[in-house]
Amino acid sequence: MNPAEREANLLDVGRRLVAASPADETEALLVEGRSLLTRFSRNQVHQNVGTEDVWVVLRLVVGGRLGIATTSSLRPEALDQAVACAMTIARASQPEEGWPGLPRPEPVKPASSYDAATAEAPADARADVAAEIIEAARRQRGEAAGAVEIEESSAAVANSRGVAAASSHTRTQAHTVVTCGDGSGFAEGVSSRLADLKPRALGRRAAAKAAASRNPQPLPAGRYDVILEPPAVAEWLEFLSYMAFGGKAFQEGRSPFSGKLGQRITGRQVTIWDNALDRRTLPQEFDYEGMPKRRLALIDRGVAKAVATNYYRARRLGKRRSTGSALPASTGYECLPLHLFMKGGTSSAAALVKETNRGLLITRFHYTNILDPMKTVLTGMTRDGTFLVEGGRIVRPVRNLRYTENILEAFSRIDGMSRRLTLARGPAVVPTVRVREVNFTGTTEF
Amino acid sequence: MKAIVERACELMRQAGASYGDVRVREDWHESVVVKNGRPEHILGDFSAGFGVRVLVDGAWGFFGTHRLEESAVEPAVRQAVAIARASARLREEPIVLAPLAPATARYETPHAKSPREVPLETKLALLAAASNAMKGPNVKLAQAFFAAFDTRQFFGSTEGSRIEQRIVQTGGGIAATAIAGGDLQVRSYPNSFRGNFATAGYEYVEAMNLVGEAPRVADEAEALLAAPPCPEGRRTLVLDGGQLALQVHESCGHPIELDRVLGMELSYAGDSFLTIDKLGAFQYGSGEVNIVADATAPGGLGTFGYDDEGVAAQRTPIVEAGRFVGYLSSRETAPAIGRTSSGAMRASGWNRLPLIRMTNVNLLPGRAGTLDDLLADTGEGLFLATNKSWSIDNKRLNFQFGTEMCREIRAGKVGQIYKNATYTGITPEFWGSCDAVCSAGAWRLWGTPNCGKGEPGQTARVGHGVAPARFRNVQVGVKA
Repeated sequence: MNPAEREANLLDVGRRLVAASPADETEALLVEGRSLLTRFSRNQVHQNVGTEDVWVVLRLVVGGRLGIATTSSLRPEALDQAVACAMTIARASQPEEGWPGLPRPEPVKPASSYDAATAEAPADARADVAAEIIEAARRQRGEAAGAVEIEESSAAVANSRGVAAASSHTRTQAHTVVTCGDGSGFAEGVSSRLADLKPRALGRRAAAKAAASRNPQPLPAGRYDVILEPPAVAEWLEFLSYMAFGGKAFQEGRSPFSGKLGQRITGRQVTIWDNALDRRTLPQEFDYEGMPKRRLALIDRGVAKAVATNYYRARRLGKRRSTGSALPASTGYECLPLHLFMKGGTSSAAALVKETNRGLLITRFHYTNILDPMKTVLTGMTRDGTFLVEGGRIVRPVRNLRYTENILEAFSRIDGMSRRLTLARGPAVVPTVRVREVNFTGTTEF
Repeated sequence: MKAIVERACELMRQAGASYGDVRVREDWHESVVVKNGRPEHILGDFSAGFGVRVLVDGAWGFFGTHRLEESAVEPAVRQAVAIARASARLREEPIVLAPLAPATARYETPHAKSPREVPLETKLALLAAASNAMKGPNVKLAQAFFAAFDTRQFFGSTEGSRIEQRIVQTGGGIAATAIAGGDLQVRSYPNSFRGNFATAGYEYVEAMNLVGEAPRVADEAEALLAAPPCPEGRRTLVLDGGQLALQVHESCGHPIELDRVLGMELSYAGDSFLTIDKLGAFQYGSGEVNIVADATAPGGLGTFGYDDEGVAAQRTPIVEAGRFVGYLSSRETAPAIGRTSSGAMRASGWNRLPLIRMTNVNLLPGRAGTLDDLLADTGEGLFLATNKSWSIDNKRLNFQFGTEMCREIRAGKVGQIYKNATYTGITPEFWGSCDAVCSAGAWRLWGTPNCGKGEPGQTARVGHGVAPARFRNVQVGVKA
């Protein structure tokens, strides 16, 4: 089935569900697609999987009471069972406080990101990508581990107020950790098109880093200036988003933005927004309740500007329109921005190193977690390429370090950013940044 | 289910697979969240499909489909075989499986009250009562949680195994969130992140006394808001069961997964400091530390009859008197240590490949008596309870945990409350500093329902039996 036919079929099933529903209001989110992933380790493929999935999320409303049910099938009996389950839940529940009804339709701007060649790529195409990465690792006498992933899917949303939206997407990503003895290096590529991945370049970059990070030397904990490469910046940004940018947490007083919209919350150099329509990310036309995606300013020159909402949360916050940030109704988190951008500066990654007297070059972080959501305090480890910079040069690899840091405060200490923005997994489109005096609180043995 | 299994096994053999298995699976899940006395989010999930895994030309291929019909079997097997052949292009050494005698069996976890049969109104009434009982001037969110999982699976392999299983898992809890002056403090019961879980029915949640515990939970959330931060320094720690369970999970459970050790998770969650050369020769902890991986523990969240390769549930020694002696393994990985599988392969659904997952990784009881006995014996130190934050490096050495509650131990009794307590260390040093574990009467099972691993991502429900334990000279009070 081609994506247009699949979209039409999903919309048709969704509309029929809405028409036949016994509830006062009904919303159907339907997703159908395939996910294919090849993993490799020690220069060999060790896992290789494919699945074809359907996911239907029904949100039914009876007298302002919500019932949500999901199923993994488009078969009539499965859909009937899901409707019955959602009705049972709605009847047992209580009216939602300030329920504004499901959203009405709004025009959706096209932002197609479906690449037929990617969608139809056979298992051998993923093996080809893995083979190029592995070959690059071997040239450095290294071993590559990693994954190559392709997803292709169509999604449709229909509701009883007339929302009827459908689109199709392809997503592909490859990442690798290359090890050379006790050195390791990381590289990743993300795109809507498999042809954009450039696996040889990924393999070379990770292998060069692995070779350069052999025999890492211990460095004591303490405060260091850091140059964060895009995967590290993206990780901090995503955790900041989770803590701060959701409308539900904001209204419940759990967000560091709560009560602070319009106030300066970090440095003037920091501008963050969400934009699913920008072709530099993995585009998406509408959110999971069919509302159009649009650009949303979250932090503008250090000032908290807005939080992400779905339609319900927008109305609870006194707004007329959703920001187009609804998550599937099956999650209680409601809404988050999913296509983050961070404004860059005027420098380059190389110049940031060159202008650093003493600091650390950090490839990425590992196992970041939240210590204090209101103060945006995170902890985590460095990983896969941490280097000491002295006198504007990378002088040696160092063992990994643990940071414990307030992210909004750290962002206020950014004193240099690359002009170039890079798409990192998340997705998040971010520069390389230099942050002064990041707090490292622990060390490890490698 | 049976027809799909038989057809898949026949087709996998015809396709030349040296091994193949198929899992037909249905997953039912219900989640109920009550906030401030009212339903906040109620979800009913149902998912069904099957996945075939084939070993062709010495390499794996897997394909899963939601099309639960016999006509979907042939294309699924064909896809899996094509994927395996692509894998074989980049495979130097053929995969060899540890031997296994085929089994025909039926297994079901015991439960008194099926969570599917208990009316939603009954669950909501319990949760609303618990939520309403959490009151305080700064308690802005009083949440009560229930969740249950009912998994039915029919497993078949080309070697002749045919295994039917039903796993019923139930849990719940409460959490009070106090917010004031730019600070937020959460206190939970019986565990954080939506409570505690077991292979059990609704009776497990009924026995939690959520309503009775609610006022204390709210009071402690209020007290934490007013408390000073945990001071920095090196201290003696006593960890309660909930926190210790996660400590075992992160610093023992993950590093003993043999696929991690062999590099199979390297590019994602990392590998392990517990390399094969350390097996039987490495002092993981003090002589007080004895750990087993026990998939047979009654009620454990990681309890089952057979894993997703058809290997019977086992109790595997991991650490004996501090010495590292065993791994969690699979049929593919076990030959690397000259053993057979420890029966730890599990998939999170029909559309996921089985991976090595924790079963119930349990710290065995010691000789230190009750928690009160241990506190009295400790004299001075800190008592840390209920996990709030966790992080560990990609070889599972440097960890840092935060807990909801921290209390000063003075003269053998708990007193002053501190907030935002953290502690950090290096895994073998930390376990080497363990000088007391409470006795069997203080030992209980904790469920971790959100263990993430693998690409594509999988969430496993695993268990940890622990009794409170004491650790000397630990760094606490790490600050931003």
